[in-house]
Amino acid sequence: MTVQLISANHAAAMAATLAGRANRNARGFGGGIYPITPQTECIELLAKQEFEKGGVIPVESEHSAMAVCMGVSLGGARSFTASASNGLAYMAENVVAAGMYRLPILMMAVNRTLGPPWNIWVDHGDTLMLRDSGWMHIYCEDNQEVLDSILFGYRLAEDPRVLLPIMVCQDAFVLSHTMMQTDIPDQEQVDRFLPDLDLPHRLHNDAVTVGGLDFPHETEVHRAQHQEAMDGVAEVYAEIQDEFEQIFGRRPADRIVPYRMEDAKYAVVSMGTTALTVRVAVDAMREKGIPVGAVRMRMLRPYPEKEMIEALAGCEKVAILDRDISLGHGGVLWSETRGTVPPGCVVQGTMLGLGGGDIRPQHIEEVIEDLLERTEDGSPVIKEVM
Amino acid sequence: MEIRLHGRGGQGGVTCAKILAAIYARLGRSVQTFGDYAGERSGAPVRAYTRVSDQPIINRNKVYEPDHLVVLDPSLLGHDVIAGLKHDGTLLVNSDDEPENFDTDFRAFKLAAVDATGIARKHGIGTRSVVIVNTTIAGAFAKLHGLSLDELHEAYKSLGLGSNFPAAKEAYGAVKIVEADSDAREAVEAVLAAEAAAAAEVADEKRQILPLTEHVESAPTGLKTGSWTARKPSYVQNLAPCNAWCPAGNDVVEFIQAVAKPNNEAEASKILGRSTPFAAVCGRVCPAPCMEGCNRREYDGSVNIRGLERWIADAAPVAIAKEEIVPQTNQKRIAIVGGGPAGMSAAYALAKAGHKAAVYEGEDKLGGVLLTGIPEYRLPSKDLDREIDAILDLGVESHCGVFLDANSVADLAAEYDALILSTGLQKLRDLEVPGSKLEGIEQGIRFLHRANLEGNVELSGHVVVLGGGNTAMDCARSALRLGAESVTVAYRRSHEEMPAIREEIEEAANEGITMLMQRQPIAFHGSGKVGAVELAVVELGDPDESGRRAPIVTAQSSQLDCDYVILALGQSIDYSRIPRDWEIKGESVNTGNDSQFVFAAGDVATWEGTVTHAIGSGRRAADMARAAFGEDLNIFQRPDREKAVPVTDIRLDHFLRSDATLDRLEPVETRRRSLVEANQGLPDAEESHRCFSCGHCTACDSCLVYCPEGIINRRSGGYEVDYSFCKGCGICVEECPRKAIEMN
Repeated sequence: MTVQLISANHAAAMAATLAGRANRNARGFGGGIYPITPQTECIELLAKQEFEKGGVIPVESEHSAMAVCMGVSLGGARSFTASASNGLAYMAENVVAAGMYRLPILMMAVNRTLGPPWNIWVDHGDTLMLRDSGWMHIYCEDNQEVLDSILFGYRLAEDPRVLLPIMVCQDAFVLSHTMMQTDIPDQEQVDRFLPDLDLPHRLHNDAVTVGGLDFPHETEVHRAQHQEAMDGVAEVYAEIQDEFEQIFGRRPADRIVPYRMEDAKYAVVSMGTTALTVRVAVDAMREKGIPVGAVRMRMLRPYPEKEMIEALAGCEKVAILDRDISLGHGGVLWSETRGTVPPGCVVQGTMLGLGGGDIRPQHIEEVIEDLLERTEDGSPVIKEVM
Repeated sequence: MEIRLHGRGGQGGVTCAKILAAIYARLGRSVQTFGDYAGERSGAPVRAYTRVSDQPIINRNKVYEPDHLVVLDPSLLGHDVIAGLKHDGTLLVNSDDEPENFDTDFRAFKLAAVDATGIARKHGIGTRSVVIVNTTIAGAFAKLHGLSLDELHEAYKSLGLGSNFPAAKEAYGAVKIVEADSDAREAVEAVLAAEAAAAAEVADEKRQILPLTEHVESAPTGLKTGSWTARKPSYVQNLAPCNAWCPAGNDVVEFIQAVAKPNNEAEASKILGRSTPFAAVCGRVCPAPCMEGCNRREYDGSVNIRGLERWIADAAPVAIAKEEIVPQTNQKRIAIVGGGPAGMSAAYALAKAGHKAAVYEGEDKLGGVLLTGIPEYRLPSKDLDREIDAILDLGVESHCGVFLDANSVADLAAEYDALILSTGLQKLRDLEVPGSKLEGIEQGIRFLHRANLEGNVELSGHVVVLGGGNTAMDCARSALRLGAESVTVAYRRSHEEMPAIREEIEEAANEGITMLMQRQPIAFHGSGKVGAVELAVVELGDPDESGRRAPIVTAQSSQLDCDYVILALGQSIDYSRIPRDWEIKGESVNTGNDSQFVFAAGDVATWEGTVTHAIGSGRRAADMARAAFGEDLNIFQRPDREKAVPVTDIRLDHFLRSDATLDRLEPVETRRRSLVEANQGLPDAEESHRCFSCGHCTACDSCLVYCPEGIINRRSGGYEVDYSFCKGCGICVEECPRKAIEMN
């Protein structure tokens, strides 16, 4: 293991490289790549890597990038791509296809505001647009987590009990372009952690049709199987956490990450790097004697409902922060999480840092102070952080 | 510890922040470093940040209250930079000024200054125009913060920047540091607080963001983006290759652009008249080096420049009105010996400048070789006479039929204020082989003189012309027109090496003239009158000093029967007609007498052998004479071809491919036996629209259309860039089809 001062984009590329090489004795590695800010650094580095078997293919669009990934994956190889923002929007048709084919593709997505008007900064709306595409979603908070989650994600996606594609998401610039010391595992460690991919429905020499026509009842059953696989993720996830810790010496975070929640009457729920800033604010409020804690949503799909209910069980008031907006309703995290609070708990949704504003601890403290004054649920609000 | 860096896009500010982080990472600290990303362009102000801590870093915000500031570009240093800097913070600036000389506002903090740009330039980091200072200033930072040189060196090695370490080390030693001036602190804090309050008010106003359904603001928006860059585009005129190649110094690109406008031949003719009195002549007989230089040549064929010059001169003859002649307070008398193109060009230039020129000519008419050596079918005498008359109309005296020997030339030099010698090449190369005195062997120049002026030529049978230059072609084609049944040209080198104009060779061949290459005459046979020429086969050896392969005569030969032989083997200066002690060196002539101003022009000066070279040389000699009289002027000099806009600077995708419009030729059947002008020139001036106008703005609007900011406006035939908005993106420069805008 070596420690390097690198950006999270490069950390992702390093992880994909290690995972790709780890499949060298099986069907190798591949994927279609197409650049878009703020993901470009990642695929640029990846395109320079050498693989014993396979390699990434530059294509003319995101739509084709995912098509290549599906072909690579159906051929039995480990598959990777990266995208962001409107690139994901253009890719969407094939993202859904990859999900419904149940191909264990891993996509690193850098969360960037959807345009127009054009904006290159962080907002989770792009991957949340693909929330229901049958993929697993992980949202990271720091550089090391990006690297670890890609290794972890392959192991989870390729588990025969799961067989689902996974998005590993990170915040634009705040993570993607920020350099920090990052542990890069040795190939030998990754080889031990990631077994050769053995995709049961991979194509062999005989011509077959994959994903032909479904009649209504067949679709019902396929959806039920897909849902069942999602339901089984929690158990597999925990197993892989143990194995990861054994091999790499650090434990990947749980699907949700509580902070100072043991005796908390109030909680702030958030996702991505905002959660780090929330912790700073929670510490400051604790200094003032306010019993507040925080919960970070790490894995949005499958939704960790049981864990969330447990984490929020003792809360009287919960603030839910979204760096996204489901227009006409409110924040996605708010709408999904407000049902997990105990009876009588006040819930307030706040959308802040939309379009990449710099969310600072004082903004979170203001949200908490506002929450303390509330006696009943309010409509979600947009808080400006300029 | 939080460090904020201020630089400009391209200076390496983000890398500098990373270097600082790497230094502390090696010391076992947790570090974080990032840039402030936006749609920056080269030169725009950019911020970068580095955090250093003993604890894991969880802060993901930008740095608002830095412990330390590093300013990579001194022009960025202002109150916005120091706002928020902690009291005990440091301010490190890349500047060649002493810290003591900084404004007191900046002296309120511990201040360090180092000339990182100078040091980096000395060490060759970056390019000459864009010096990269990041690795250098990091050395000064290390000194300011008590880090050791060893630690610095290790950090550079770990980043693969070992080669930049010497510059960092120099900055480490050179940085000057002064402690904070506590008296200045209070004053600057009051100023900063007032400015922050004002900025907050502006920020409140800015929150009034228009809905997307409202009309959006047209470009340019209110934000003055001109300060974002140090690069500015400006409109320039670059040397067009046609101009660079023209030995007469014609402003080719301008006269073509002028004639491209409808009914504008008079304007184009005026442009020609600035440099030449012989546009109609050159439009017919110039070998057109401009077309060789034309950037369109390799693309789809050179613009037919010669054809356009002729079109202009025939439609609107070059004429200088009397009132255009510069009033001359110091009028001089100049004798010009030789009324050929060089002498007449010199006379023209002098007359335009208000001087009295007197031309002495041995023939009965002016024109020199244009008159005697170029046949009527190529240069009709009416066209030559028209241009000669226009020169005389400027008040030039002519003394024709006056043969001057060396003594009378010397007398003239004494009598006049100056003398220009333009006698050309009068000595004809002879052939010293057996039989060369036989009847029926004639020098080509004499033959053409007889044909053009005396009208006493009668030919029949087979005529052999020996030589490969323009005189040979003129003789061969004239012979055909004057009764020869067949004509053969024999030349000692290969077809590619023939010095004659390509079109002339092609037209001659089309008229049925036989070209016999690599043949050298070694004897003439016949009794009294020539009946055959013996031609030896020539092999070509290594290139000689002219760059052409040297002919090697072999023992193999054959006889070619003929009825007449014309020698066109070249000419040289007849020194017997020039005072013996005169020394000619280009256009300068040293007579040994400093009080005499004597110059040379044309072939006698340069031996370059074309009308166009003679015109340029004549003008130069005239300019040199005027300079000798004490006039303040730029003596004409041919432009440096190396400085011309290369085709790689032309945006070829702006131009559709189109074939050149060719001159209209009389059909071979009618022209080969007739003295009618073989070439009838262009049908119109449409060909001018093919000109790329290399290096010369045509107001094509490409820059205006492509400017993403919409800040290029038309102004009096050209354009004006609103520099208060220009971000220096360079798109106008990239898109200019013809290299008429440059970045600086």
